[in-house]
Amino acid sequence: MSWDFISNLLLASVRMATPLIFLSLAELYSQRAGLVHIGLEGLAAIGSLVGFLVSLITGSPMLGVLAGALAGILVNMIFAYATISLCAEQIVYGMAINIFAPALAAFIYRVYFGAGSTLVQVTLMNNLSTTLGITSDNFLLKLLLDQTPMVYLAYALVIFTAIYFNKTKSGLNYKAVGEYPKAAATLGINVIGVKYIACIICGALAGMGGAFLTTCYSNTYVDGNVAGRGFIALAAVIFGRWSGGGVLLACLFFGFCDALQIRLQVGSFGVPYQFFQMIPYIATVVVLALIGMKKAGPKGAGKPYLREDR
Amino acid sequence: MMKKLFALLLSLAMVLSLAACSSGTADTDAAATAPTEAPASEPVADADPTEAPAEAPTDEAKEFKVAMICDSSISDGGWGMSCYNAMVDAAAEYGWTTEVSDMIAQSAYYETIVTYCDLGYDLIYAPGNQYTDAVLQAAEEYPEVAFALLNGGTSTPEQAVNGNVTSLLPDAQQVGWIAGALAGLMTETGTIAFIGGMELDTTVGKYNGYAEAAAYVGEQAGKTVTTLDVVYSGDFSASDKGIEFAKAMIDQGADVFFGDASAVDSGARQAIDEANAASGSVSIYDIAQPSDLLGQNECIICSQVTDNASLVGLCMEAVENGTFGGEVIYGTLQNGVLSAGAISDLVPAEIQEQYLAYLDQMIEGTFMQ
Repeated sequence: MSWDFISNLLLASVRMATPLIFLSLAELYSQRAGLVHIGLEGLAAIGSLVGFLVSLITGSPMLGVLAGALAGILVNMIFAYATISLCAEQIVYGMAINIFAPALAAFIYRVYFGAGSTLVQVTLMNNLSTTLGITSDNFLLKLLLDQTPMVYLAYALVIFTAIYFNKTKSGLNYKAVGEYPKAAATLGINVIGVKYIACIICGALAGMGGAFLTTCYSNTYVDGNVAGRGFIALAAVIFGRWSGGGVLLACLFFGFCDALQIRLQVGSFGVPYQFFQMIPYIATVVVLALIGMKKAGPKGAGKPYLREDR
Repeated sequence: MMKKLFALLLSLAMVLSLAACSSGTADTDAAATAPTEAPASEPVADADPTEAPAEAPTDEAKEFKVAMICDSSISDGGWGMSCYNAMVDAAAEYGWTTEVSDMIAQSAYYETIVTYCDLGYDLIYAPGNQYTDAVLQAAEEYPEVAFALLNGGTSTPEQAVNGNVTSLLPDAQQVGWIAGALAGLMTETGTIAFIGGMELDTTVGKYNGYAEAAAYVGEQAGKTVTTLDVVYSGDFSASDKGIEFAKAMIDQGADVFFGDASAVDSGARQAIDEANAASGSVSIYDIAQPSDLLGQNECIICSQVTDNASLVGLCMEAVENGTFGGEVIYGTLQNGVLSAGAISDLVPAEIQEQYLAYLDQMIEGTFMQ
């Protein structure tokens, strides 16, 4: 196995992990406020479409990302109102978002482009190396510079999240809402307000994750391009033990497994391709077994909060 | 009040979801001017679909309808787009109304088909071998509906108990030959690549034809041409997988690509264009299929073209005549269904000449003899 193979594999892992990081952070912020959100796939789908359309119309991928975030927030307000104000079942509404949002994205696409079948392509966000005019075959330089600003943002958000939840009073208050909201309320924390803020952050990050796919990764929009990443993000939060650093490692691990199966398929080695396609799933089972099922998540996650409830 | 409003909003959301499940109607203008004369000939297996369509149906009141199902997007810039356009073109020619459901999951193949059957569609057009089981099941339950299975098996029509299934079968080996011959001539590294969506018989046939034609042509030119092992993305919409596969294959030295994976191919072309841009010259190429996509991406040097519209048109003609079903309609270079599209200026003139000579050999049946 050559160094070229390993370095290209690592670069591909970073590429494939980035949308997962946005989605996993979205889930982390949601669960830390006591909201289990399984609708990330839907939020990312609408973010992907809106990001693509705005990027196409304005010619600015950055505006596309912002619009994708806004779209994610708007759609997630359905989830927020239903689960926070109406105390509805979070899993059910998460699934409703997963059905509704991709269909809405497909609907908007058809309305905008009609029933035509022309492949529409947009200009992708430039890598930092392109912006700076630096070209190099050095692995470290490629790893550090051959990335879009969104990649740096993803890693910056991980660092911010780790500090926020562990080192700030506001972050501890936020976590308290997800752990035991009634106790948090007795301390004067606005539980409902925090939960709504969590939904805004979750929607924005999930929308950005989706928009990343069409503004930084692939220059076309295809229905279904989120391809299960919303569910992988759910697993990444559990693997990452509900912490910023853990989530990052989990996402890199999933990205690595997917990149590995692709590179091994190409390398062939005389092994049936189905074996390589199994790698991400086998790795998931193995890691789950190693980490164990010890509950480490917010204790109030998934439970509706009724202020008058005893 | 707020709860009622919210319930109303959710209801609206569900309606929108349902509306989006169907991908819109491409009602052809020609539907309003349906042909009126009786057809002149019956469709026959291995007929020449390039001939002008036979004349029109006798029943002026009858409005024929065709529905297409597709598991990839019809705006994928590849397979889905081409098949959809084929249906629309054929419908325009024969005066049919069209409908399409794309991006449908495997678990929804059958349900989508029978929904169209219940809605009174005359012809169900399923462009892919993967729909065989769903088509056969629906064909048994709806004997009055015609089913056209593009890339269906040679024995599939026999398996339909009501005789209402026709396989449209472009010759997969010849499809591979058309791309492989050019790949063999154009490769400078001696390594070429193929990306598949799923391991279908037709995909394997195309890969084998591609590899053997490239090796043969390379040998004639005094070079060894190796095709990397076929890879499969597992679905047809993961353009990101196409990007990653192409990057990995370029790292392995591949400099000519061909594929059978819909939007995945579009992703591969994006990665090839990026690699060419990074190197400052176009030295990695792609051969598109199944329609002429020259100009869509800078890296495309030619396309393998399948005239699916003619094949679908033959089915429409047979439905109008009441003679549909139970046959295999082949698409070959010889009957004009298969061909090579326009060739890019990136292909030197002498190579273009050699390539056209090989195409002639394929038509004459002397290629690789």
